[in-house]
Amino acid sequence: MDKQTEFVLRTIEERDIRFIRLWFTDVLGTLKSVAVAPAELEGALAEGIGFDGSAIQGLARVSEADMLVRPDPATFQVLPWRGETKGIARLFCDILSPDGSPALADPRHVLKRTLARAADLGYTFYTHPEVEFYLFQSPHEPGGPPPEPIDRYGYFDNVPHSVAHDMRRATISMLEAMGISVEFSHHEGGPGQQEIDLRYADALTTADNIMTFRLVVKEMALEHGVVASFMPKPFPDHPGSGMHTHLSLFEGDGNAFFEPGAPYQLSKVARAFMAGLLRHGPEISAVTNQWVNSYKRIEGGGEAPAWVCWGHNNRSAMVRVPMYKPHKSGSTRLELRTLDAACNPYLALAVILAAGLQGIEQGYELPPGAEDDVWSLTPAERKAMGMTPLPGSLGQAVDVMESSELVAETLGEQLFDYLLRNKRAEWDQYRQQVTQFELDRYLPLL
Amino acid sequence: MSESRHSTTSGKLVRLGFQEPELAAGQLVASPLSDQAVQCVVAALATSPDPDTALRSLTRVVDAAAEFPPLLADIDEALQQDSEVLIGMAGILGSSEALGDHLARHPEDWSLLGPTDRISSREVRTRLLEAVAADPESANPVAQAPYDLSLQQLRLAYRRQLLAIARRDVVAGESYENTVADLTDAADAALEAALAISRAEVGERANKCRLAVVAMGKCGGRELNYVSDVDVVFVVEAVDGDDQEAIQIGSELASGLMRACSTETPEGALWEVDAGLRPEGKAGALVRTLASHIGYYERWAKTWEFQALLKARAAAGDEELGRAYESETARFVWDAAGRPNFVADVQDMRRRVEDSVKGKGAQRQLKLGVGGLRDVEFSVQLLQMVHGRDDVLVRSGNTIEALESLADYGYVGRKDAAGLAAAYRFLRTLEHRLQLWRLRRVHVVPDDKTELRRLARSLSFRRDPVEEFETEWRAKQLEVRRLHEKLFYRPLLQAVARLEPGEARLSPGQAKERLTALGFVDPEAALGHLMALSAGVSRRAAIQRTLLPVLLGWFAGKPDPDMALLGFRRVSDTLGSTPWYLRLLRDESVAAERLAEILGSSRYTAELMTRDPAAVALLADTDDLAARNESTLESMALTSVIRRESSESGMSALRAFRRRELLRTSVADVLRLADVEQVGERLSALAGATITGALQAAIQAIAVEDKLGIRFLIVGMGRLGGAEMSYSSDADVMLVYEPLLGIDKETASREAQSLASQLRKLLSIPSADPELVLDLDLRPEGRSGPIVRTLDSYAAYYRQWSSPWEAQALLRARRVAGDPGLGADFATLIDPLRYPAGGLSQPDLIEMRRLKARMESERLPRGVEPARHVKLGPGGLSDVEWTVQLIQLQHAAQFPALQDTRTLPVLRIAQELDLIGNTEEQVLAEAWQLASRIRNAVMLATGRSSDVLPADSRMLGTVAHLLGYRPGAAQQLIEDYRRATRRSRRVVDDLFYGS
Repeated sequence: MDKQTEFVLRTIEERDIRFIRLWFTDVLGTLKSVAVAPAELEGALAEGIGFDGSAIQGLARVSEADMLVRPDPATFQVLPWRGETKGIARLFCDILSPDGSPALADPRHVLKRTLARAADLGYTFYTHPEVEFYLFQSPHEPGGPPPEPIDRYGYFDNVPHSVAHDMRRATISMLEAMGISVEFSHHEGGPGQQEIDLRYADALTTADNIMTFRLVVKEMALEHGVVASFMPKPFPDHPGSGMHTHLSLFEGDGNAFFEPGAPYQLSKVARAFMAGLLRHGPEISAVTNQWVNSYKRIEGGGEAPAWVCWGHNNRSAMVRVPMYKPHKSGSTRLELRTLDAACNPYLALAVILAAGLQGIEQGYELPPGAEDDVWSLTPAERKAMGMTPLPGSLGQAVDVMESSELVAETLGEQLFDYLLRNKRAEWDQYRQQVTQFELDRYLPLL
Repeated sequence: MSESRHSTTSGKLVRLGFQEPELAAGQLVASPLSDQAVQCVVAALATSPDPDTALRSLTRVVDAAAEFPPLLADIDEALQQDSEVLIGMAGILGSSEALGDHLARHPEDWSLLGPTDRISSREVRTRLLEAVAADPESANPVAQAPYDLSLQQLRLAYRRQLLAIARRDVVAGESYENTVADLTDAADAALEAALAISRAEVGERANKCRLAVVAMGKCGGRELNYVSDVDVVFVVEAVDGDDQEAIQIGSELASGLMRACSTETPEGALWEVDAGLRPEGKAGALVRTLASHIGYYERWAKTWEFQALLKARAAAGDEELGRAYESETARFVWDAAGRPNFVADVQDMRRRVEDSVKGKGAQRQLKLGVGGLRDVEFSVQLLQMVHGRDDVLVRSGNTIEALESLADYGYVGRKDAAGLAAAYRFLRTLEHRLQLWRLRRVHVVPDDKTELRRLARSLSFRRDPVEEFETEWRAKQLEVRRLHEKLFYRPLLQAVARLEPGEARLSPGQAKERLTALGFVDPEAALGHLMALSAGVSRRAAIQRTLLPVLLGWFAGKPDPDMALLGFRRVSDTLGSTPWYLRLLRDESVAAERLAEILGSSRYTAELMTRDPAAVALLADTDDLAARNESTLESMALTSVIRRESSESGMSALRAFRRRELLRTSVADVLRLADVEQVGERLSALAGATITGALQAAIQAIAVEDKLGIRFLIVGMGRLGGAEMSYSSDADVMLVYEPLLGIDKETASREAQSLASQLRKLLSIPSADPELVLDLDLRPEGRSGPIVRTLDSYAAYYRQWSSPWEAQALLRARRVAGDPGLGADFATLIDPLRYPAGGLSQPDLIEMRRLKARMESERLPRGVEPARHVKLGPGGLSDVEWTVQLIQLQHAAQFPALQDTRTLPVLRIAQELDLIGNTEEQVLAEAWQLASRIRNAVMLATGRSSDVLPADSRMLGTVAHLLGYRPGAAQQLIEDYRRATRRSRRVVDDLFYGS
């Protein structure tokens, strides 16, 4: 038994943990949980515990339903919000085939596999997400009126004695208690919209953290009598919720994106990585922005990027190169602005990394950067500058993804196939809807 | 110059062993040494491994000393009076030219030719640090001498250590264990001194960082060579908490240290410091914090990296940090055996070592050659990883120590371990002598006689040095070559044998642990088989006992070792004491290895073999497994049935013939002596021959003296027609007849009906041998139509009723048995149908597409995931074949080259004709081949026919093995298949559906 496992079992004893939640993630990024009693944990850590994989979205077919979840002892965490004693703890799990090999459809494994590819090239992938979300007064009822945000304030507004403020504070202290460091938090542009930035970490930890984060935020909101949502675009006329994510590659302990004296201090590796992100941006879109609603945010203007381009400190570009801070070689990074917080973070980070690595491996040339606000350019100007649009809808995104060898390779054929069918079905279902917009506009007229 | 000197004639020198006596005599005459000294020297050199070189070196040493008369006087006196110095001189100067060079440059070191005592590691460290004027008492010693001087002094001091060690080793008979320990101490001390030099270079800032040098590899295991790269890993820790800065400084310190060792100076270089075993290898950062190392091992490291960690040892720098690294990493090593892919990884690693060895074929390679050092080290480490998890007593990083403790606690037989340890010591000592000569990294034993002679003499072979040495070396190599058998497998047999008193052995639990690590799923049953096979006092049991360790080794490399052992027990129970069988196994021939492969991977073939164990003999000769041509097969089939007393006995001979041919084909397939196209051709030719034989039997049964009133034809359709049958394919056929001249229609029809039903009856007689099923469903009007028709009747039918799918089916029609002339007539009849002039009409094209689309939704069995159905799934066999057939229907009239019943040749020609693109052809061919191979492999692996990739992971593993995948890569097969078919489906969408 390794030390970490011993630590886990000892802590469970000492802290009087009564239940352990084993967490894993389905293909669409929904957190799944199995509870086990402490007595069962040791066996689970050693051999995993069986479950019916076909019951989980995209995981397995009926014919091969037997799967195992095996907790990763490094992710052990007591869940603070259930009280200190008689507590509950959680561990993230890897999903295994019955023969003990990793299940190819496990999103966590997809990311691990891609990270291992990066490791073969000598790179570690670090990420730092800025998660946005809205707080609403009450839960949404199907067919009910539009949601009511909890306030009417805007960007960076310091709202005295507000629920939002308390809730953010409670969330942050809870995250910190769970070992997730928070960099920054503030009121975002939309009414009731919040942003919390997580400290940078390696990509697997980041993805685990995002899963935890979404749960903590929702729990904390409920405790404060409000409702949190990561839906990318709840209001047509207010900004959507994205998850701008800062990316960097490290070689050992040095930042591989940093090269003193180069333009914006960006190394060749960084430029090729960015070129990869741009070239493969459209085909990974259905993973980074996986819902019908995601494209309402992309097409909604403002700070959301709708064209394949990059710029130095340009907040309308798909990839932004943040201002360089002198003597901070470690902080040289790229900011990808397409991602939204409703993605499956494992898959999204995997395809992002794969796109970047492809750029490095094949030595892509970086196109010239954009200095202007991309939204204010005319279509002809954009065309002249060689900016192609990102997919404008889930349907387009799925079409582009379907012929992507990169995404198929990264996600694995089985998961790729599942995702294609699932997303196509969602798009087809959406196309059959008659929207409020149509009723309001056409019914009186036609 | 006196008389005595001249009396040392060339003749005497020859007797003393000089190769170039004239030269030597000249050197002696010119020597500044006194006569007495010269006398002593001449006598002593007779014992030297290489008297000529020794004298040449000595001459240079005394010439150099002659410039300092007192020094020369000292040497002269010692050579006369101190026999120890004399022996040392002869031994060292005769086995190391390089150390001779050193003494010629530094004659003042001559006293090291005399005896010295071993010194403690602390003392060596002190001497080397003082050489660079660093304070040995300081926690962080810093070299005070100027840089260039420090480098030289370090080299000098180190070489003096080496000289003393070599003197003890070569002349005084110091043990191998002590020699490698002393060499390791010297290397540790040199690393420490090099770090002191580097600290001086970096300056004050060096104090902000704690740096530990952890030795890995041979240095880590305290079993270093005279000359080899020293493997290390650097660990840093900040003194005041700024990791970033500590890493920066640590990198400078580490690269300074490496430079201090490898830089060439007038005194040469030490050796290369190799940091390639660090996380991420050469691509990774040179130094890391302890936490960063741990993080890496937790997340990324591969099994072989844990194996490397087994030897990690704090060697220099910050001791506390080094020890922390040792203890923190130890847990990974000992948990490695519990990692999910451990067994697969280990098999993979073993195979890689074996493969890398095989290619070289270098008999004289000491390290990597067959029976080389690497093999011993690797195998010992593996056993440690398997058993060290539960047993802390077998965890030493030193090969000899580890081997001894494995023997002490019963994991390896004591005699085997002792024999192996002796062989290992011999080979390492041989390596030492090789390296000592020029202080170079040499691993190849020379074949030059002079060099060999010196080498042999330095190893104390004196009578006929070269011959004695070669004999001994071969014996040790042989000892090591049987190593896996001894280390891994023989203890398993001992575990089930009767216990010799006083011998420790594996407990049943440990034996099971070992079997599990070797890949056995049911170790309990395996032990049972071992016991049954090896029990008793018969000759057979005795032979099995010596054989089984070898066979177990082969079984362990197969996907299903349990099945292999069981199959072996079955075959042995039948063939048991047959002399040729035991001989075949005992000689460990290719045949025995092939038997292991078949029993361990193919249930289908193993079952055929159990029906006819004598067929094991087939495995001996590759020529026996080659394809037979069609006419040979046909005459063999006919011989089976002709002139039998009854058609039943004829048929049973025919069936047995077919079974033997199936066995030959499947053996060739399992052993990868035939590719999928060849297997298809062989199976189809065999089906054709079988049908020919059965037709003959049917004729004999119904006709008087084999005279018929009709001509009869059997047309192969489907896969039989395409000559691409799988093991499980039915024989799709249509039957045609024509009355002979003067025979009336009625009689002819009756005869044809009766012949056809006799043929079907004979082929379906129940038997234990596999049945060839005749399928007539493709005939006009399907099941409701007559089973046999005249040519005219076919013509009438096709004129009037035929639908596009029938034309499509006819694309694969060819004669497989019966009247050749009638075959040609039939072809003439159907050609206009299957190769329609002008291609397919638009309505027919639409009809064909609709039919295919309907099939896709209806014919797939329920509950099967389409993507795993190799026949009907998207991009699978049916998709590719329909596409090919569409191309034929559209273009074969125009391009006769397309008039072929086989899938792949048509694809190739379509590409050559530019009807499809290059990529399209490749994608379709790849998917079709992979699907066909999978279908055959499923049959071979499971013994049952199925068109679905198995869900059972063990079965899937076997299928993957048969297809050439590495162990544990079964998921990769699925991934590859899905990718191939995803791509082929896109092409099919394009070419077939036109979308």
